[in-house]
Amino acid sequence: MTASETRAPVAPVVAASSGRVLRHALFDRIYHWLMAASVLILMGSAFLPIVGLKFEWLSLHWMTGIVLTVLVLIHIVRALIWQDWRAMIPDGADIRDGLRKFRAALGGGGPAPGKPGKYKIAQKLYHLAVAVLVLAIVASGLLMLLKIDTPFWKRNPYWFDSDTWGIIYSVHGFASMAMITLVMIHIYFALRPEEWWLTRSMFGGTVSRDEYVEHCDTSRWRPEDRS
Amino acid sequence: MELFRYATSIYGDSKVVIGASWDLLPWFVAAGAVFIVVHAAVKAIAGRRGHAH
Repeated sequence: MTASETRAPVAPVVAASSGRVLRHALFDRIYHWLMAASVLILMGSAFLPIVGLKFEWLSLHWMTGIVLTVLVLIHIVRALIWQDWRAMIPDGADIRDGLRKFRAALGGGGPAPGKPGKYKIAQKLYHLAVAVLVLAIVASGLLMLLKIDTPFWKRNPYWFDSDTWGIIYSVHGFASMAMITLVMIHIYFALRPEEWWLTRSMFGGTVSRDEYVEHCDTSRWRPEDRS
Repeated sequence: MELFRYATSIYGDSKVVIGASWDLLPWFVAAGAVFIVVHAAVKAIAGRRGHAH
């Protein structure tokens, strides 16, 4: 039984007016853009010196890393307590519709894919990949703070042996480089014309009722309505 | 092309891994670029096929 099927069926919200539908609250949009800015600053401060643009990067990098850590913690708490975290978990309907869409894209026959809830399976899988990478980067990065002097502690490089430091630095490095790939893909999809209805919602917070009905199964995602 | 970066241990007797190799950086950028190009091409072809029908 899917996550959506375990919830009691409720009639979809129908607005008296043909108003807009809230997709992302202001708090979540601010979180998204702060996270985007911190990830780009972290990637720039990490990789620009490596490719030849030398500057004093370490302080900028670890301080922005702390900001990212706090943002991620806030997101996890908010998503688990105040939001529907199950909306980001692929369910049976997502997998079924994803396979049907893949088959249709290859020119195969069969039943047409259904509409997703708030997030398509591709978005859910992308979120899962980014979550794994960012958590690995944050965890390894926090450990790496032990090797630098901060206002709060003096460096202690002997906390771990050299082999363990090698693993920590390797996790941080590989996950960071993989994030470059995923950020490129994310920006690409945000710029694709058929996804502009989503991209606009990350600025303004809402989608039109027509976009909501066109793209989503209204029984799987029932957002607050607002004119 | 190496996958890891190495240094000599403080005891001078062996190589230790100190992190991922930055030689891999262009490969991760290329992976993103390949995905984008292939996806855009598939969407363009599928769109053209849809218009033809």
